[in-house]
Amino acid sequence: MEALLGGFAVTLSFDNLFYCFVGVLLGTIVGILPGLGPLTTIAILLPITFKMEVTSAIIMLSGIYYGVAYGGTVTSVLMRIPGEASSVVTCLDGYEMARKGRAGAALGIAGIGSFFAGTVGVIGITFLSPPLAELVVAFGPAEYAMLMLAGLTMVTYMSAGSLPRALLMAAFGLLLGTIGSDPMNMTPRLTFGIMALGDGVNLVPLAIGLFGLSEVLFMARQTAEEMKILPAPTGVMGFLPSREEARRSVAPVMRGTVLGFLVGLLPGGGAVLASFLSYAMERKLSKHPEEFGKGAVEGLAGPESANNAGTAGAFVPLLCMGIPANAITALLLGAFIIHGVTPGPTILERQPQIFWGVVASMYIGNVMLLILNLPLIGLFVRILQIPRAYLTPMILAVCLIGVYSSSGNPADVLIAVIFGFVGYGLRRHGFDLGIVILAYVLGPIFERSVRQSLAISDGDPMIFLHSYLSAGFAIVAVALLIAGLWPARKKKAA
Amino acid sequence: MSRPTGMRSTGTRLATFGLLAAALVGLWQSLRLESWGFDGPGAGFFPQLVAGVCVVLALVVLVSPGRAGATEDGATEESNGTPETRRTFALYALALVVLAAGTAYAGFVVTAVAISVIVVRFAERRSWAAALTYGVACAAIGLVCFGWLLRVDLPEGPIERAFYSLVR
Repeated sequence: MEALLGGFAVTLSFDNLFYCFVGVLLGTIVGILPGLGPLTTIAILLPITFKMEVTSAIIMLSGIYYGVAYGGTVTSVLMRIPGEASSVVTCLDGYEMARKGRAGAALGIAGIGSFFAGTVGVIGITFLSPPLAELVVAFGPAEYAMLMLAGLTMVTYMSAGSLPRALLMAAFGLLLGTIGSDPMNMTPRLTFGIMALGDGVNLVPLAIGLFGLSEVLFMARQTAEEMKILPAPTGVMGFLPSREEARRSVAPVMRGTVLGFLVGLLPGGGAVLASFLSYAMERKLSKHPEEFGKGAVEGLAGPESANNAGTAGAFVPLLCMGIPANAITALLLGAFIIHGVTPGPTILERQPQIFWGVVASMYIGNVMLLILNLPLIGLFVRILQIPRAYLTPMILAVCLIGVYSSSGNPADVLIAVIFGFVGYGLRRHGFDLGIVILAYVLGPIFERSVRQSLAISDGDPMIFLHSYLSAGFAIVAVALLIAGLWPARKKKAA
Repeated sequence: MSRPTGMRSTGTRLATFGLLAAALVGLWQSLRLESWGFDGPGAGFFPQLVAGVCVVLALVVLVSPGRAGATEDGATEESNGTPETRRTFALYALALVVLAAGTAYAGFVVTAVAISVIVVRFAERRSWAAALTYGVACAAIGLVCFGWLLRVDLPEGPIERAFYSLVR
């Protein structure tokens, strides 16, 4: 508790409060804008944080991540357009409630449920992280290698496409991570004699190319359609649900919070999976499943809570083990590493002010989001009226600034453009790019663990089955591979 | 968001062939590195392993059965959109190329204005005045806010150098 209070002392400085506010505000705006997801925004803003103090940088980037889950609700409820993936489920019942004249109640339930789930999620991080970090200290290189293998396999298993495609993306990401100097003996690898590749493909041009610039190309293919926006309520009272709506939303919010947090802990989990699972669970538990899709309060309250709790839960493996649960937390891990901080079990001992500062900022950020999201929704909705013609040059200019400022090297902009086209081609044909970033970030840590293990065992691969922990992780990885290739999944994918 | 599940479409095949080619080049390069040294796995060990797995997986994806489906942007993979969509897409792609070339040779301001003209005037068919005004506004905001006030590194050309000599 003392450490958490220390974290609040860090966060309550003027600078950190300001960056927390900027983060959640940007997150909300990004969540509202369809197309510009949190991954793109964090990738674009990552280089701008280079000159910031590390805690402030992580507080701002984290604010974007959990702010998005709030913002995405607005367009889902008022326009039936999910601002980002974890709000897809909200469209089903949230929009139907809005059509019945209950837009305010829908946004209110979503906002309050999100606040509750986000806050409980942060409490979970507070109490779960220290014991988990103590456990992870006992990990050797073999345990780490197998944990990462299990994590990568789980992410590919949970990917929307077929398993071989997802595995191919993971292998491609790992391969990209090997370009540049060998981390152990500095031998240049896969550089083709090109000077610009001497330090490898940097995270910033890769992420901005795959997500920011490829998104611009996707925008070019969209046809301009008239968007129908249902009127947003005005005044705080307009967001209050009726007594019946409040009663019906209590249990789904509780269930969504617990489920979301647990799913967020899993590699490959996070907000998107949490919201879909919560919707399925609420429908299963409901006495009136026929109301789902027609404005059921439970179908809105559960998933909205679950996606916020899932977002919080994903911070636990990131902060305690240094293992990102999804592509966004992989980018956050990259941000930590760029700032010279290695998340993992030792962060609590060596840099507790960063860990607890980020955790404390989440408490404050959730309060900021609640205040921002209820009275200012009408204002945010106006952002949607920016035409593509003016949005695109702005995004391109910010991408240029982001990539160039990360290294001062024009070659990085060229690399980002190349990955923009590559990302467009792969996304257009159903390849999941999130896995590429995740594998790219994990690659060097995975490689180091594998090589250290094999060096210790003099090349004997049985070292990976030597302890119960590493054998357990290896079994999980193999089981997921088998389950992913099982005929039932193949049939489902088809 | 529907995704293609199979391999019959040309675009998907091409994307997978591209990945296969990249993996083969990676494998070829990594085979020139030492895979095992006196102190354990060498610099080539991991790239060889990963590139090999990548090649195998790309081949599996290429030969696995399936069907063409809707892509992420909602269009079927076979359709390339209307001529107008294709034209807009080509101009947006040109804007990306200008982004890379402009950064290397022209500086931030010229690149930002050029991108704005390509997108606003040509791709979106707005007026010259709108394109130029918006481009200059984007460039000015970038230069003043990021380049001057936040001291972020921007690609430098004659305009940036002249501006910095005035304000710094």
